[in-house]
Amino acid sequence: MSAVPLWVARPAGASAAGWLRTVDHKEIGVLYIGMGVALFALGGIESLVMRAQLATPNARLVDPELYDQLFTVHGVTMMLLAVVPLLVGFANYLVPLMIGAPDVAYPRLNALSFWLSLVGAIVVYFSWIAGGAPDAGWFSYPPLAERAFAPGPGVDYYILGLAVNGAGTIIGAINLAVTILLMRAPGLRISRLPLFVWMTLVTSFLILGAYPALSGGLVMLFVDRQLGGHFFDPTAGGQPLLWQHVFWFFGHPEVYILVLPAMGMVSEVIPVFSGKPIFGYRFVAASSVAIGFLSFSVWAHHMFAVGLNEFETLLFSVTSMLIAIPTGVKIFNWTATMIGGRIRLLTPMLFAIGFIAMFVIGGLTGVSLAVVPLDLQTTDTYYVVGHLHYVLFGGTMLGVFAGAYYWFPKMTGRLLSERLGRWHFWTAFVGLNLTFLPMHWLGVQGMARRMWTYAADTGWGPWNFVETAGAFVLAVSMAIFALNVVRSLRGGAIAGDDPWDAFTLEWTTTSPPPPENFRTLPAVTSRRPLWDRKHPEMRDAS
Amino acid sequence: MRPPAEAIGTLALIVGAIAVAIFIGVEGALVYAVWRYRTSRVSTPARFDRNTRLELAWTAAPALTLAVVFVLMLGTLRDIGAATDAQLRIRATGHQWWWEFDYSGIVTANEMHIPIDTAIDIELASVDVNHSFWVPELGGKTDMIPGQINHLRLLTRRPGVYLGQCAEFCGVEHAWMRIRVVAETKEDFDRWLATQGSPATASGDGARVFQSNTCVNCHAIRGTSARGEAGPDLTHVGGRATIAAGVLPSDAASIRAWLVDPQRYKPGAFMPRVPLSDADLDALASYLGSLR
Repeated sequence: MSAVPLWVARPAGASAAGWLRTVDHKEIGVLYIGMGVALFALGGIESLVMRAQLATPNARLVDPELYDQLFTVHGVTMMLLAVVPLLVGFANYLVPLMIGAPDVAYPRLNALSFWLSLVGAIVVYFSWIAGGAPDAGWFSYPPLAERAFAPGPGVDYYILGLAVNGAGTIIGAINLAVTILLMRAPGLRISRLPLFVWMTLVTSFLILGAYPALSGGLVMLFVDRQLGGHFFDPTAGGQPLLWQHVFWFFGHPEVYILVLPAMGMVSEVIPVFSGKPIFGYRFVAASSVAIGFLSFSVWAHHMFAVGLNEFETLLFSVTSMLIAIPTGVKIFNWTATMIGGRIRLLTPMLFAIGFIAMFVIGGLTGVSLAVVPLDLQTTDTYYVVGHLHYVLFGGTMLGVFAGAYYWFPKMTGRLLSERLGRWHFWTAFVGLNLTFLPMHWLGVQGMARRMWTYAADTGWGPWNFVETAGAFVLAVSMAIFALNVVRSLRGGAIAGDDPWDAFTLEWTTTSPPPPENFRTLPAVTSRRPLWDRKHPEMRDAS
Repeated sequence: MRPPAEAIGTLALIVGAIAVAIFIGVEGALVYAVWRYRTSRVSTPARFDRNTRLELAWTAAPALTLAVVFVLMLGTLRDIGAATDAQLRIRATGHQWWWEFDYSGIVTANEMHIPIDTAIDIELASVDVNHSFWVPELGGKTDMIPGQINHLRLLTRRPGVYLGQCAEFCGVEHAWMRIRVVAETKEDFDRWLATQGSPATASGDGARVFQSNTCVNCHAIRGTSARGEAGPDLTHVGGRATIAAGVLPSDAASIRAWLVDPQRYKPGAFMPRVPLSDADLDALASYLGSLR
């Protein structure tokens, strides 16, 4: 075994050219994850600059132009360029292994979707050195995003970058959906799919429904800006609200695109570390499908303040409340899985429990946003910023870390350090609560979103300072994780095939897996084929 | 009819209490599970993995809770709905980055006065990009969207000063687009409105400086030939508490500092730096401050 483990065992060995032309799903998965990590770091640095600027009232660390670029690119990065590749990367690596397939359905298309995604991200970031980054928000509302009010090239880079990135994401989703539907091992019925695969399947369909809406909107915005169109220009009969409908028709499913795979990850981790099968498998899977459908019917809850009529207001309030039901079902099922189990509090499980604990907060504040009168007070304030970061950092990112600690040994053959892992978890837990909890009451007190500074007489200074301190605690936390990864790659404990006493097919092959993934496949007669192999006397009923 | 902010506050307390109860229940169950089923207390885990009745129960319980919340919400919505009983109409128009308030032809900027105990219908408009009118202690926010008129119902029982803020990102100086609402008795309000309706009376050296420079291209002072519309109406600017949508107080020293270098205080604002002699600056600042 070499000092630096190979990400995947490949006969020719890793080389730059090899990475460029690879069509292996595991290597493309690693490329996606690398892209996601790099962009997550960039988006994180952007947020640290913003938090430093907001630490005290009337600060002048950055000017408003730069601040607007920072929050726009931070949003675009975290919503589209960093976390989607991270999740797609894990799906790319893991789905074929979890369903007993040698690769994805279309390996070359897989490479194309990664490179399109990466090029799109590069186009967005290229704007920083090409005349200015986009500065109209990640939501890029016209008329502010029209040329009359945003004459620089930033919004054009946003349009082009997201269109290209989106094409990659759409192609990737087709590939994953086809793979899951057609390439499962014999005996692995849909009703036996690991829940991470289930949620990846639902996510793929969400991408297929949502991303084309964004692409269409981007084309319209491009026509307005570059070809003299008037889709969103009220001075020529256009309708600014059309963009908001199109954008949020994409934007709200996007939130579930970011959350569902992380829910899938904790749905794998919790049963294994509780030593029990998942409680209510059918309800967990079906609730994902319900969330998937409902997510396309809630978009206008982002728009309660735009002057919707009474029917629209009530309709979107009801649908937005309904989506809390399948979400709650998942929380209850994860908890019930732990009850009666034997809970091993190792790092993956710590993060999975942290995911539930924090996601509950984001979920409850989310329901408050469906209650229209409350939304009218809190929308477009820091309350929403707090809410969405509990969902996407407290939720998605803690879930991704659970998945990262869980599957890193499979991908590299090495275990991550438990001691650094606990440091990572607790600093992340403290940091995210310090950063995002005070946002709720600052928002209610009147702090609107996207303000580059605020007056001292508002009294918002002290809590903003706390938030900034929390953000730097989070930065330290991320550095601890990076240290853990680097140290383990150099000399972490050897993992073996099945370090966690797990249940699913990916743990039956070597760590890292061979190019063809499996030399032999166990017979699949239940949801836990590896459990069945290890405990032939207590096999699961099919 | 109840003041909208009060109605929303009551609803927030009820929904908040329900949310806190759920929070304690769910997090409590989680902590209990981790503590009770830790490795040192369990030798062999159980194997159960389903209970359909339980599943149906925890699907139905949230649904019922949400139904209750929805019904409560309907009542609050009635209280905050558009005013059909409006006794006063104010047209509020968003500009990058200031507010224009039009009381049936009497125009002022950035500081809105309202009478207490009076149902008010605010017509919300925008001349450029989306803005959002929001004074938290008076009620929820409503967006200002170019090409359409939105309505917001306001009603308050307590006199006082209420601070607000543009809540929809509207460009570089979104942050310095503050609203100041002064709620006062009907008599005080009528007196204020009469003052606002009268033309400016102050004159002197500062008036000459104002009239002979580019100020008049953007600003109006009724009673003079200045009729610019791009910037805030200054007819009674000295009577407002702040200038530049809440950036600085409106005393002569602050006005002078603003005139010397607006970009220092509100970088990105459209107010240019007008090169003036020290004497002209003094005269102009004291003139503007005296426009009460």
